[in-house]
Amino acid sequence: ADPNSSPMEVCEEADSGRCPSEMDANSDIKTHFKVCRFIMETGVKLGMHSVPIATACTVYHRFFQTASLQVYEPHLVAMSAIYLAGKVEEQHLRTRDIINVCHRYLNPRSEPLELDSRFWDLRDSVVQCELLVLRVLGFQVSFQHPHKYLLHYLVSLKNLVNRHAWSRTPISATAWALLRDSYHGTLCLRHHPQHIAVAVLCLALETYGMEVPGDAEAEKHWWQVLSDDITKPIIDDIISELLQLYDLEAKCT
Amino acid sequence: MPCQLHGEIGINRNLALSHEHHPMEKMKKFKRRLSLTLRGSQTIDESLSELAEQMTIEENSIKDNEPIVRNGRPPTSHSMHSFLHQYTGSFKKPPLRRPHSVIGGSLSSFMAMPRNGSRLDIVHENLKIGSDGESDQASGTSSDEVQSPTGVCLRNRVHRRISMEDLNKRLSLPADIRIPDGYLEKLQMNSPPFDQPMSRRSRRASLSEIGFGKLETYIKLDKLGEGTYATVYKGRSKLTDNLVALKEIRLEHEEGAPCTAIREVSLLKDLKHANIVTLHDIVHTDKSLTLVFEYLDKDLKQYMDDCGNIMSMHNVKIFLFQILRGLAYCHRRKVLHRDLKPQNLLINERGELKLADFGLARAKSVPTKTYSNEVVTLWYRPPDVLLGSSEYSTQIDMWGVGCIFYEMAAGRPLFPGSTVEDELHLIFRLLGTPSEENWPGISSIEEFKSYNFPKYKPQPLINHAPRLDSEGIDLLLMFLQYESKKRISADESMKQTYFKSLGTRIHALPESVSIFSLKEVQLQKDPGFRSSSYPETGTGKNRRQSMLF
Repeated sequence: ADPNSSPMEVCEEADSGRCPSEMDANSDIKTHFKVCRFIMETGVKLGMHSVPIATACTVYHRFFQTASLQVYEPHLVAMSAIYLAGKVEEQHLRTRDIINVCHRYLNPRSEPLELDSRFWDLRDSVVQCELLVLRVLGFQVSFQHPHKYLLHYLVSLKNLVNRHAWSRTPISATAWALLRDSYHGTLCLRHHPQHIAVAVLCLALETYGMEVPGDAEAEKHWWQVLSDDITKPIIDDIISELLQLYDLEAKCT
Repeated sequence: MPCQLHGEIGINRNLALSHEHHPMEKMKKFKRRLSLTLRGSQTIDESLSELAEQMTIEENSIKDNEPIVRNGRPPTSHSMHSFLHQYTGSFKKPPLRRPHSVIGGSLSSFMAMPRNGSRLDIVHENLKIGSDGESDQASGTSSDEVQSPTGVCLRNRVHRRISMEDLNKRLSLPADIRIPDGYLEKLQMNSPPFDQPMSRRSRRASLSEIGFGKLETYIKLDKLGEGTYATVYKGRSKLTDNLVALKEIRLEHEEGAPCTAIREVSLLKDLKHANIVTLHDIVHTDKSLTLVFEYLDKDLKQYMDDCGNIMSMHNVKIFLFQILRGLAYCHRRKVLHRDLKPQNLLINERGELKLADFGLARAKSVPTKTYSNEVVTLWYRPPDVLLGSSEYSTQIDMWGVGCIFYEMAAGRPLFPGSTVEDELHLIFRLLGTPSEENWPGISSIEEFKSYNFPKYKPQPLINHAPRLDSEGIDLLLMFLQYESKKRISADESMKQTYFKSLGTRIHALPESVSIFSLKEVQLQKDPGFRSSSYPETGTGKNRRQSMLF
């Protein structure tokens, strides 16, 4: 490639120039899986709440929808995504904390970084990369997440279900965990937040074999009441994509 | 997705579909599959404890700023946590465990270091920003970006003449844009046929060639105001010859883009409405980010000053309607403004009023001080927020609308308090000290108790705004309800009898059309208007304070 060309050009040429083989696509998905896991773990260590972590992952996935892994270091993009998500969701994080936590994650047994020029370079990179991400995403960084919908659905469902059955089965926790895990992949880019919320709830219910009372006799399924434009095939698609993620996990670890 | 997984999709589809017909047998398979993938209940329990842990953290942080007003509202994000907490409490394990989610396993073996060299590289940024904030490498030297292979012209079956109209349609530019000389000819030479969609990349390239996203496209004129983070200039676009407002945000090296700017841009890009200020362009350089807005001559504060604080009551109605129209649009899209005040309402010479400064919109907390340490005005803030409520609903904007309505009608601010206590005191002195009857839950708000306000009786508003008719007074009272859920919504308020004189057609206008497109809607001369000050756009230092932070 032309050494004078900008990174973006290289990336676009790489994208359009050759058709990436299935192997490449496969390894890209794995890399993204691992880096999202990195976002989630460092996010938790940084004390981020669920929604900012979800925003960070969405920013990350959106960025790599158009950019290529051959050009951009995914962990740097992830760090900037975390930083940006903190700003967008009003849970401000210091760049220094992000760098220290991420460094520790990538180099588990190492000492914290000295505050030398390498550290400052790294911080500049995070800040510069944040601007790059903003521009690639066209500043569209506020997202509707499924979390709030899931909450409402859970409340409605809880009122339908027998109190004892509900307290015996960890439906809410499972649905919540499934939702969080969904951010390992790009589900959040391809489905409506309401639909993802319904699908994780369905999967949680099926996992514990819990049936919604009256569902067999009712005119509509319970999920049709929660979201009027959802269909069974959509739910099935989301669930199978989720299950693929769990398969992927086995291959990544 | 890898193809070896397709079989499983099939299985799951089958399962799910057949679930209705032969539930037992298929569900068994499904559960077996799930128990494999979820790795039994143990991992789930682990994830639960993490969840519970997280909940505890969030619970604690809620307590610090416990919303004081909670009047049986539908659950907010706070109650989500408490709700989940309640139902995961039984799984709670001792804190300080390493988090694991259902996707378990450790990644210790994973990537001790990033692939590309031994450290995270600095991003070498030589990209230039394109319009819409898209990154863009096409400006300057790389004009070959738009040049398609030479055969393109031949491939065009119908070689149409490209008109200005085509181009505008294509790039969704303002209708009055002036395309630089030579651009059309160039496009004619080597553009793909117009009936084919344009790629994102060539759209970017084209926009950049026209001059979008470039600082040299805009001429800086007078400075309108300055803050710590942003300076606002009046400017002129070389493309349209129109005036623009240039909000120049300095990029702090350590902080990156300020979050007010990120929020403002991300929201404004989604908001297109005749009563909301238009963001034309974003220009990005090494040291600054410049937001290019449409230029409006003055804000409502100046407008009121210029007419000696005696506005025509008809114009008050027209302005209020436009505020509500813009706000109703925002609220439908779940965007709160949160900082409504006359300085944030911009007005052009036609009388079109537009909401501006969305820097605080969607912010979870309204700061009391700006970055430059100026005090944010309390005059338009509802009493529940003054008492510490962090409630997050559209009703929060409606109180401020009432205050602005009064200010236009009476010629002076309704509650010009200087401190939180002073502000509350002014409110209660006029509308009566709240009690459990008109504000259930008020007596248990610690902050309210600690102020120990005297028990004022409500005063008739008509004595304070004698120029307002009874329908206007009724509407004003609907805005100034203590209980936020009782405050009238923006949508509902436009249907009140007060606005009946504006006719019915005003309700059927498309979002992007100005209300002045209707001939029955016209401004009247304001009684107190000083003709000398009108066409001249004030150059006072302190105008447009709103855009400063």
